[in-house]
Amino acid sequence: MTQDTIRQRDQRTGWLLVIPALVILLLVFAYPILRAFWLSLFAQNLGTQLQAEFTGFSNYGRLVGDSRFWQSLGNTTIFTILSIIAELIIGLGFALILNQTFRGRGLVRTIALIPWALPTAVMGLAWAWIFNDQFGVVNDLLLRLGILETGITWLGEPTRAMFALIFADVWKTTPFIAILLLAGLQSIPKDLYEAHAIDGASPVQSFWQITLPLIAPQILIALLFRFAQSFGIFDLVQVMTGGGPAGATETVSIYIYAMVRRYLDFGYGAALVVVTFLILVGAIALTAFLLAKARINVSGER
Amino acid sequence: MVNLKLPLKLPPWLRWLTVGLVIFGLIQSFSTPVLSQEPIQIRVMMHASEAQQWQPLKADFEEQNPDIRLDIVAGPNDTNLVEDLYASAFLLGDSPYDLIYADIAWIPKFAAAGWLRPLDDYLEPGDLDGFLSGDIEGGRYRDMLYRMPFRSDAGMLYYRTDLLTEAGYDPPQTFTDLLEISQSLQDQGLTDWGFVWQGRQYEGLAAMFVEILAGHGGYWVDPETLDVGLDEPEAIAAVEFLRETIAQGISPPGVTTYAEEETRRLFQNGRTAFLRNWPYVFPLASDSPIAGKFAIQPMVHAPGQESGACQGGWGMAISATSRHPRETWRVIQYLTSTEAQRNYILANGYVPSRIALFSDPEVLAKYPHYADLLSVVKNSTLRPPVAQYAQVSDILQRFLSAALTERLTPERAMAQAAAETRRLLVQ
Amino acid sequence: MLKVQRPTTAKTIISPSRLLLWVGVVLMVGFCLAPVLWQLLTSFKTNAAIATIPTIYWPSWDQLTEAHYIGLGGEFLRYMGNSFFVSLISTCVCLLVGAPAAYSLARLKIPGENIILALVLIVSLFPYVLLFLGLLEIVKAVGIGNNYLALIIPYTAINLPLTILVLRSFFQQLPKDLEDSAKMDGYNTVEMLQHIVLPMTIPALVTTGILTFIFAWNEFIFALTFITRPEMQTIPVAVAKIGGASVFEIPYGPIAAATVLGTVPLVILVLLFQRRIVQGITAGAVKG
Repeated sequence: MTQDTIRQRDQRTGWLLVIPALVILLLVFAYPILRAFWLSLFAQNLGTQLQAEFTGFSNYGRLVGDSRFWQSLGNTTIFTILSIIAELIIGLGFALILNQTFRGRGLVRTIALIPWALPTAVMGLAWAWIFNDQFGVVNDLLLRLGILETGITWLGEPTRAMFALIFADVWKTTPFIAILLLAGLQSIPKDLYEAHAIDGASPVQSFWQITLPLIAPQILIALLFRFAQSFGIFDLVQVMTGGGPAGATETVSIYIYAMVRRYLDFGYGAALVVVTFLILVGAIALTAFLLAKARINVSGER
Repeated sequence: MVNLKLPLKLPPWLRWLTVGLVIFGLIQSFSTPVLSQEPIQIRVMMHASEAQQWQPLKADFEEQNPDIRLDIVAGPNDTNLVEDLYASAFLLGDSPYDLIYADIAWIPKFAAAGWLRPLDDYLEPGDLDGFLSGDIEGGRYRDMLYRMPFRSDAGMLYYRTDLLTEAGYDPPQTFTDLLEISQSLQDQGLTDWGFVWQGRQYEGLAAMFVEILAGHGGYWVDPETLDVGLDEPEAIAAVEFLRETIAQGISPPGVTTYAEEETRRLFQNGRTAFLRNWPYVFPLASDSPIAGKFAIQPMVHAPGQESGACQGGWGMAISATSRHPRETWRVIQYLTSTEAQRNYILANGYVPSRIALFSDPEVLAKYPHYADLLSVVKNSTLRPPVAQYAQVSDILQRFLSAALTERLTPERAMAQAAAETRRLLVQ
Repeated sequence: MLKVQRPTTAKTIISPSRLLLWVGVVLMVGFCLAPVLWQLLTSFKTNAAIATIPTIYWPSWDQLTEAHYIGLGGEFLRYMGNSFFVSLISTCVCLLVGAPAAYSLARLKIPGENIILALVLIVSLFPYVLLFLGLLEIVKAVGIGNNYLALIIPYTAINLPLTILVLRSFFQQLPKDLEDSAKMDGYNTVEMLQHIVLPMTIPALVTTGILTFIFAWNEFIFALTFITRPEMQTIPVAVAKIGGASVFEIPYGPIAAATVLGTVPLVILVLLFQRRIVQGITAGAVKG
């Protein structure tokens, strides 16, 4: 009986603690998301004088044949996967360094966070200039080092433009991952390592057997949010390449933004939002499913 | 125990509530708008830098019209963002702006969306006399006038007079001249690059291409019949000319990534003999190492064709939801008057939309090159005045960029661009 | 780590692992700082020096100026104040609302927990740029245009998923017996959260707080559209309003100056708070 009332009270408190957060989330997200689903069934564009006319699933039909959308989806996927992998590796390295004790650590930690603190649009301008073919810093350095004989047009060729974008994005967002992982590293009790070392484990072994498993939750969260942010990348691309050359760096967000805010095609834009959103949710659901399965296997082996 | 705990349990929640209320109160006190009751307020938004330049006009207008107050909202300095802000204001129905200070390229879309009030009701005979025809035409959509021109803008060719004199050339007239002279200047080691233009995938690419296209005698979209001319031989020749400049090393390979500013820097630093750009470069280049060593002329053309200059510029329209259209029209009348325009041009160096001002002694005394400028702006070519212009332009930009970076052959790129544009316009 | 530290106190030999660490530190600092130094340099160069090609890396004295900073004027302080206010409030609200929710989801086993978690996850996947039109309608309908609520609520909501998931992961890693013994001592849930759980997860709180603050400080699209009164605008909007003599001209110098100046408060903030990202558990355990 007392056990039950404690349970009940805990649950009530639990709900009370969650509700404010839920309210704020619903306030901001519910309407825009539902509105997108609803509007995607209508034609609302300059052709209809911006009046909504019900057209069923015809927006989705048009989407299937929209090569520009699929191209931008492909660009975004490549961009996201490559940048996340690079960021995770470098970010983990940063976090491990920042986790050590050394003189000036506070300053170094602060410096490591500066890229994340600078506004993307402004840094995009700087990056575009840094990658400029004639007088950019990158070409200048490579020429001086003798790696190149003539300057490279970084932003004028699809693969290189994508590389430049990924580089700039990695620079900008590695601190995000680093600081999340640092917080994770800091909550690993030191005695775990000591005990492990006494057992004769090398630092590399304790990294794989203690550090990684214990910060796995933070790694997953960092990856999740970087996945979402990276898939929605907008301002960096807008400023650095504008989606060019030949649409090779156009991302989904840029395309949808143009569809809605510049072409004023709200119905079709909504359908694009819905499909992108569902693809993202599907990707995460699949990952979660695979992770859950893998974890069962791991624990089963142990 | 339980009874005792209840009052103890309340404080945290009360505390939360208090914290919440205090925060809310703080926010409110920071954000309470000051409602001022003025005579009649006419509100307009524009780039922040231009909002500064409007202040003398505002003061003068308000002195002459004490019953109207002109409220100038300073927006961001990116034209796309200003357009987005206007569009969001209109989408919510009741726009806070009465006067729309609009780029010429917005008019068809804004008019088609029903956001603008036609000006024909207010026009008196003769009101449109004396303006550059391109500026007036750019304000029309489906035979109605929506925009009065304020300041004009047009693309042109800048060239280095000193280099041409040294090598003994006259300014180029045709595309072939341009290529030949560039090549020769480069061979003589007088300049690194011959001709620099805007090749990045963005609106500036479309604007530049309009000029090359017109010079080849081609067309983009016929506004009457909605015919698309991008896959005609003239258009393909225009693309081939641009590709030729890169292939021959007349333009740097990175030209396909340049916008206005990159090209201006190359010209200002004496790295190129020719530059395609807007009038804004003139005063800046006059304050640089090449001061006094350059001149302007209309873009070159193919033999037997006329040169074209992409029509840009800003003008005034009235919001469809404005409650004070008459008063807004009075503001427009003041701003488009010769007097106001002269003052504005003299102070800020923009290009007038009234023809007489190009030969105005006061203006010429300050900007002698305006005599040449008139020949440029008179040849202006409009970007297609269709409602879906933004999308039409994006299609061209993508495929043109593909052709320039050798993803596609000019024929293929233009064929695809034309096909997509047709599909869009038929819808 | 303790074992590595001992030899260094002898100060004669630098151990290989120590050397490796310093190489890493130098590389990291270089990677993070190089583009920033570029901005710093640009912000002090004269317009002529900025436009000069090839790029001037080592300007002479007459190529340097403080004019870009002076040109920003006193209003810039006001924009900083606005940004600070909005960022601070939304960070506080985010932590005040997010931490209890995270705790509840980590420990209290409420019915529907999985659904709430899934909701939080799903919501975090919606690209924030695309929230814009829907939010615009809400802001208009509720009439909070030109009211900081129109920024604070979205900023809070956008950062809530991160806050909740990060804090939840830390709460789950706490040793459970601590909370059990606290319960024995008669703490109720809220008290326990306040006095035991939160002090022990300060690194996580500071981390998410910093990330939220920085997001709010730099957010542009909402700030641009929802706040139109000039004296209420935030730094990114103010930066976007810096212009040259013409629309085409990009005033690199003033923009760089505004960026540098606008980032200084963030750097100070991180400098102050980063020392809190240290061994929360031991620090908390001592306090508790």
